Amino acid sequence: MSYIRQTQRAGLLFLAPYAVSFFVFAILPIVLSLVLSFMRFDLTNQSAAGFVGMDNYREAYADPYFWNAVRATLFFAIMIVPGLLVIGLSMALGMNAMARGQHQVRALIFLPAMLNVAVTGILWQWFFNGQFGLFNFLLKGLGMGPQPWLSDKGFAMPSIVLMSVWWSVGGTAIILLTALQQIPVMYFEAASLDGASTYQLFRRITLPLLKPVMSFVVITTTIAGFQMFGQAFMLTRGGPELSTRGVVQYIYETAFNSYRMGYGAAMSWMLFALIFGFGIVQLRMMRRTV
Amino acid sequence: MSRTPLRVINQIVMQTIGVLMLIPLILMFLTSMKPEAEVLNPENVVPRTWTFANYQQVLGWAEEAPFGRWFTNSVFISCAVTLGVILFSAMGAFAIKRLRVPGGSGFLTLVIASMMVPGQLFLVPLYLILSRLHWLDTPAALIVPATAGGFGLYMLSQFMEDMPKAIEEAALIDGCSPAQVFLHQTLPLCAPAISTLAVFTFIGSWNDFMGPLVFMDSVRNYTLPVGIALYQSSYYTEYGLTLATSVLAVTPLLILFALFQRQIVSSMSASGLKD
Repeated sequence: MSYIRQTQRAGLLFLAPYAVSFFVFAILPIVLSLVLSFMRFDLTNQSAAGFVGMDNYREAYADPYFWNAVRATLFFAIMIVPGLLVIGLSMALGMNAMARGQHQVRALIFLPAMLNVAVTGILWQWFFNGQFGLFNFLLKGLGMGPQPWLSDKGFAMPSIVLMSVWWSVGGTAIILLTALQQIPVMYFEAASLDGASTYQLFRRITLPLLKPVMSFVVITTTIAGFQMFGQAFMLTRGGPELSTRGVVQYIYETAFNSYRMGYGAAMSWMLFALIFGFGIVQLRMMRRTV
Repeated sequence: MSRTPLRVINQIVMQTIGVLMLIPLILMFLTSMKPEAEVLNPENVVPRTWTFANYQQVLGWAEEAPFGRWFTNSVFISCAVTLGVILFSAMGAFAIKRLRVPGGSGFLTLVIASMMVPGQLFLVPLYLILSRLHWLDTPAALIVPATAGGFGLYMLSQFMEDMPKAIEEAALIDGCSPAQVFLHQTLPLCAPAISTLAVFTFIGSWNDFMGPLVFMDSVRNYTLPVGIALYQSSYYTEYGLTLATSVLAVTPLLILFALFQRQIVSSMSASGLKD
C-alpha cells in the first residue's frame, strides 16, 4: 500500500514539469484565445478593453479583407493538396520500382524539407525575379518572353504553390512510399497470374490499399495548407494587391501590426472552424470514394 | 513487372528527379561564391572567379545585421528547446507509463487532443502571456512554451508502452528510487526514441519562423531564419549576400541530415502510418 502511494507521489513530481508547462502554454492560451475573441482588446488602448459579445465574429463576417484572405487560402489549398498528392504518389511509385539507389533518391527528395522557409523563400525569390531571375533566363533560352512570376495577380499564388511543392513533397512521397512497401507482393503476383494488367493492378490493388494513408496525407496537407504563412510572407508579403495574403497573415497583421488582439483571436477561431469543417467533410468523402 | 526497358527508364527518370531537387541548393552555393559582378549574370553557372567576399561581408556585419549573433541565438535556443522537451517529456511519460500516476492516461488523452489545435491559434494568447511574464524579446519566450508541445510526451509514452517494463518494475519493488530507475534504466532503454525526438525537435526549433517573428523585437535577439528574412528585404537585390547567409543558415542542418538521414527519413514515414 505505502509502496504504491510512494511511487504515485513520485509520479506526480515527475509529471509536474511537463504538466505545468502544458497548462500554462497550451491549455491557458486556448482558453484565453476563446475569451479574447469575445473582447475588444487593443494593445495600444488597453484601458478600453471589455467584452463585446459576438462583435468580433460579426465584424469578420462582414470584413471583405477577411474573405479575401479566406479566398487566397482556399486557392492555395486547392492547388497544393492535389499537387502534393499526385506528385508525391508518382515519386513514391517511381522510387518503389527502382532496382538500385532508392535510398539516395529518397534522401535527395526529402532534403528540401530540411530547409526553413526563410532560406527557401530567398532562394526562390531569386529564381522568380523578373529581371535577372533564373526562370526567366531559362525561358529566354527556350525562346520565350519573361513571365511576371510574383508581380502578377494571376501568377503569384501558383508560383508560391510551385515553391511549396518543391519544399514539402519529400515528406508526402516518403510516407506514401512506406505504405506502398507494406503491400504484400503476393497480391500482385496472384493478380498477375490471373492475367491482370499493370493498370488493373494499380487501380484494384495499389490504390484501395493506399486509401488510408492517402486520406492521412490529404488531411494533414490540408491543415498545413490552410495555415500557409511563411511562403507568401517571404515571396510576396501577401501581394500583389493582397492576392496572396492568407488568413494567418491577416491574423498576424491584425494582431501585431494593428494590435487588435481580440479581432485576431476571433479570426483564429474562424480559421480553426474552417479547418475542422473541411477535415470532417474530407473524412466523410474518403470513406465513400476510393 | 519484368519489362526491363521500362525499369531502366524509371531508374533514369527517378535519378534525374533526385538531382533536380538538389539543383537549387547547388546553385545557391555556387552563386554565393561569385563576386558581385557575376551574381546577376546567370550565364555561367560555375563562378569564373571564386571568392569568399560574400561570406566575409556577411560575417563582418555588426550592428544592422549581426549574423554571428543570430547564429549563436539559434544554436542556444534550439539546444535548450531540445533538452527541455526531452527532459520534460521523458519524465512525464515515465510518470504515466511506469509510476502509473493517478489520472495519467486521462492527461495523455487531453495532451493528444490539444495537438489537434492548429498552431496559429496560440499566437495571440501566447504573446499576451509572455508579455505578462516579461519574457518577450528574451530567449525564454521561444524555449519554455516549446516544452508544452504534445508530440514528445505522446511519442515517448507510446515507446514506453511497447517496451517491456519488468526490469524497471522489479527495480522499483526492490527499493530503487524512481529517480534511480529513470536515470539508469528508463532513459538508456529509450535512447533510440529519444534520439529521434531530439533530431526532430532540434530541426523544428531551428526552422521555426513564426515564433521569433512575433515574440522577438530587437535585431540582436533574432534567430537565423527571421534575421535573414528581414534583412533580405534590405539587401534585396544583393543576391550574393543573401545567398551566402542562406548557405550558412542551412549548413548545420545539412550536416545533421547527413549524420541522421536514416533516422529522420524512417521516422518521417512512421509518422504517417500511426494514425
